[in-house]
Amino acid sequence: MITTPVPSQTAAAKQWFLARTDLGALIDRLRESGRRVIGPIVRDGAIVYDEIQSAAELPAGWRDEQSAGRYRLERKSDERVFGYTVGPTSWKRFTFPPNLTIATAHRTGGFGFEQPAPDAPPLAFLGVRACEIAALAVQDRVFLGGQFTDEDFRARRAAAFIVAVQCTTSSSTCFCTSMGTGPEVRDGYDILLTEIDDGFVIQAGSLEGAAIVAKLPTCRPSHAEAGAAVDKVKSVRTQMGGPLPMAGVGGRLKLQLDHPRWALVADRCVECGNCTMSCPTCFCTSVVERSDLDGKSSTTERQWDSCFDVAFAKVAGGDFRARPRDRYRQWLTHKFSTWWDQFGSSGCVGCGRCITWCPVRIDVREELAAIAPPVEPIIQPVAVEPAAASPGSYSIARLASVRSETEDTTTLTLTDLDPAFLAGRPGQFVMVALPAFPAVPISISRYRANGIDLTIRAVGPTSTALVNLRPGAKVGLRGPLGTFWPIQEAYGRHAVVVAGGVGLSPLHGLVDALVANHDRFESASLFYGARTPEDQLFCEDLEAWSSGKAIDVTLTVDRAGPGWKGRVGVVTTLFDMISWDCTKVTAFVVGPERMMHASVQGLISKGVPADRIYVSMERHMECGIGLCGHCQMGSRFVCKDGPVFRLSELGDLFSREGI
Amino acid sequence: MASTSRTAQPRVAVAKLASCDGCQLTLLDLEDELLEIVSRFDIVEFPEATSRRSPGPYDIVFVEGSISAPEHIDQIKELRKQARVLVTIGACATAGGIQALRNWADHDAYRAAVYAHPEWIESLSTATPVAEHVKVDAELRGCPIDPGQLIELLTAVLIGRRPQIRDEAVCRECKRKGIVCVVVAKGEACMGPVTTSGCDALCPTYDRGCYGCFGPRTNANAKSWSAGLLQSGRPPEEVRRLFAGFTGYAEPFRSVITELGKAKG
Repeated sequence: MITTPVPSQTAAAKQWFLARTDLGALIDRLRESGRRVIGPIVRDGAIVYDEIQSAAELPAGWRDEQSAGRYRLERKSDERVFGYTVGPTSWKRFTFPPNLTIATAHRTGGFGFEQPAPDAPPLAFLGVRACEIAALAVQDRVFLGGQFTDEDFRARRAAAFIVAVQCTTSSSTCFCTSMGTGPEVRDGYDILLTEIDDGFVIQAGSLEGAAIVAKLPTCRPSHAEAGAAVDKVKSVRTQMGGPLPMAGVGGRLKLQLDHPRWALVADRCVECGNCTMSCPTCFCTSVVERSDLDGKSSTTERQWDSCFDVAFAKVAGGDFRARPRDRYRQWLTHKFSTWWDQFGSSGCVGCGRCITWCPVRIDVREELAAIAPPVEPIIQPVAVEPAAASPGSYSIARLASVRSETEDTTTLTLTDLDPAFLAGRPGQFVMVALPAFPAVPISISRYRANGIDLTIRAVGPTSTALVNLRPGAKVGLRGPLGTFWPIQEAYGRHAVVVAGGVGLSPLHGLVDALVANHDRFESASLFYGARTPEDQLFCEDLEAWSSGKAIDVTLTVDRAGPGWKGRVGVVTTLFDMISWDCTKVTAFVVGPERMMHASVQGLISKGVPADRIYVSMERHMECGIGLCGHCQMGSRFVCKDGPVFRLSELGDLFSREGI
Repeated sequence: MASTSRTAQPRVAVAKLASCDGCQLTLLDLEDELLEIVSRFDIVEFPEATSRRSPGPYDIVFVEGSISAPEHIDQIKELRKQARVLVTIGACATAGGIQALRNWADHDAYRAAVYAHPEWIESLSTATPVAEHVKVDAELRGCPIDPGQLIELLTAVLIGRRPQIRDEAVCRECKRKGIVCVVVAKGEACMGPVTTSGCDALCPTYDRGCYGCFGPRTNANAKSWSAGLLQSGRPPEEVRRLFAGFTGYAEPFRSVITELGKAKG
């Protein structure tokens, strides 16, 4: 233990260079100081920590390859002795032994208990990594931080001299960067080594460490050697990739005590307890009594135990954690959540031992991601700056194709567009004009790789002229304009799209986005009502969505024609099919205003919150940019404040007559 | 054995059914403790050790072996009557033993194939654990049993407390001993995760997978473990054989064997 930290800026904090061939001198000096040296050795196919006498026993050239449930060693041609990451042993074996006699009792000449005095041999730990230093500090808080302390641990910890080693590589199971414990060793050591090509950059972290370093055949490191040491450590962080989203995981876990994943992971878990035994911070124990046959004396032995043990939470009346899922939940929530509340830190240091040594390959990182995923901040995307926004200027696009949807509705695909149009969002619209024809607002029904679709009902002069164009014709566009569907509001919820008639057009792009991101939603559904089967838009797309698994599509018509085998009735009749928790619904509704009114009433009566319902309004527009005054709706212009509104924004103006 | 103190000492019988006698030998092999044991227990019936016989009742009866022949049923019922405490010892008595593999086989066909006069052989078509026939008060697992657990049981009886016999995976013993996991580091087949401890991780200590001779521990997730072994590329027949060892007839190993046998069939 670091009893006397070296003040920074003192001579001892300086760096030295120790040749690899002189590493034995470090071991010799440690042994001469009365310490047994515990270091890494190759045994039984792994690098374990055990007592060493000389540097020859160190795992020169050995590398470990680790993944969930798998550990293999490989001998390389170089002589690096610390080229591995962390193995099955953790240092707690030496500060918190797996078996320890904590009391003896006797019945000879009376009756009594004796507690043996702590017997802590002076040890030097050689090769302690950043995550392992963090783990020792975690156990410091557990055993020494409270009212009652573990004096055996205190003695062993105080007697341990720490020779730390910077990691110069990482395993796939390592995640110290996510837990904030590594890879850089920053403190908590007596001596720190960084292994470079032909030796070590060495520095002392305590006066005891400095005293040992002073006796070593060192020299000052060259500029290149010092630089190499820094680069080696930096490269590990790069190698490990971005950290996992651990911030707030403790709080998130507390909200997921009933998550179905607990049962799923418990089906895989064999409850061998290897995760807890390998974990460098797990501290649970049980006591075993060993009696002599003569009945006169007995010893109480403390053993490492595991919360996966079937008897761990048992009392006379039963078992508090009777199901495997209860025990798995106990382990994971303690490590990542309640440990914080008890000891002020995470119980996990990111060493990855529980992943490597799990024989059924359970990876806590995956379980955390599934059970308590990070809540993505809802970043409201910002609308792209529209092209040709002023009422007099138009960006010219080319008509690529024309498709008839229904008797009076046609979809135009436009290409050769200003990139602004392609960067638009579902729910936005464009102002479309032809020379001599006034501009009309048209929703963008679909975003393609190189174009957009406009679905147009021919009702006025401009729309009639547009649907009669031939491929190759030019069209004037301004946009994209207006607000868009806030798809992020439906993340983790049931996304419900309700469309009536041509109202499916401004929702088409939203459905595309729901399908593309379906794993972000609890579920996605489309309820689409049309007057007759012939009035349905996008029949091919409806077919494709229906046959896929990303969205549930339910169609209805007000009046069935011959050959229609589907449902008949207004769209709100479909809401009876909703079986899920409506408080977790986010709904998007477009259609004629009467249909929207009925739909919104239906959804609210089912329990969908009003502030989770979004509608798209239609109004007369001349300019599309809030200057002409036509589209006013109470305090808002539908063109620039809408057309997509949160229902609660519109208040009682929604579907009110004469607004 | 001093006859004076006998009356106060528990009367012990050691009996056997279908078995190899190895578990009884574990008792005889307790050379350092044997004098202490016989000075505190009155071992009155132990055909493996002495021809001197004593009828019941007994305070403790240790029974080795499975119920494999018709006469075993009568024998165990009589022993139960005579025993205050009945303790089954070893994989045969507690799980049916290796001979319980017959429970998946055609008993008559085997008998005909092995014996010149199969009609002279009176054996049951199944080998079953003692607990399927009579109430058992305590059991010691293993093939053979662990001397430490036997001593713990004997001392617990003397003290009058429940024996402290852990119900945990063999893996725990490996981890406490610092044995490197043979599954993870070497890809060995090992029954440790589903097998109850007590052997001090004997096989993994000698660099081989656990054979499961102590049998399934409470809540052993044999289904997941067999799935894991299959996933690691082992053929179903190999996994079936791994479970079909000394304690294969004990649930949940039994279900895994039956399930994998079906897949084979």
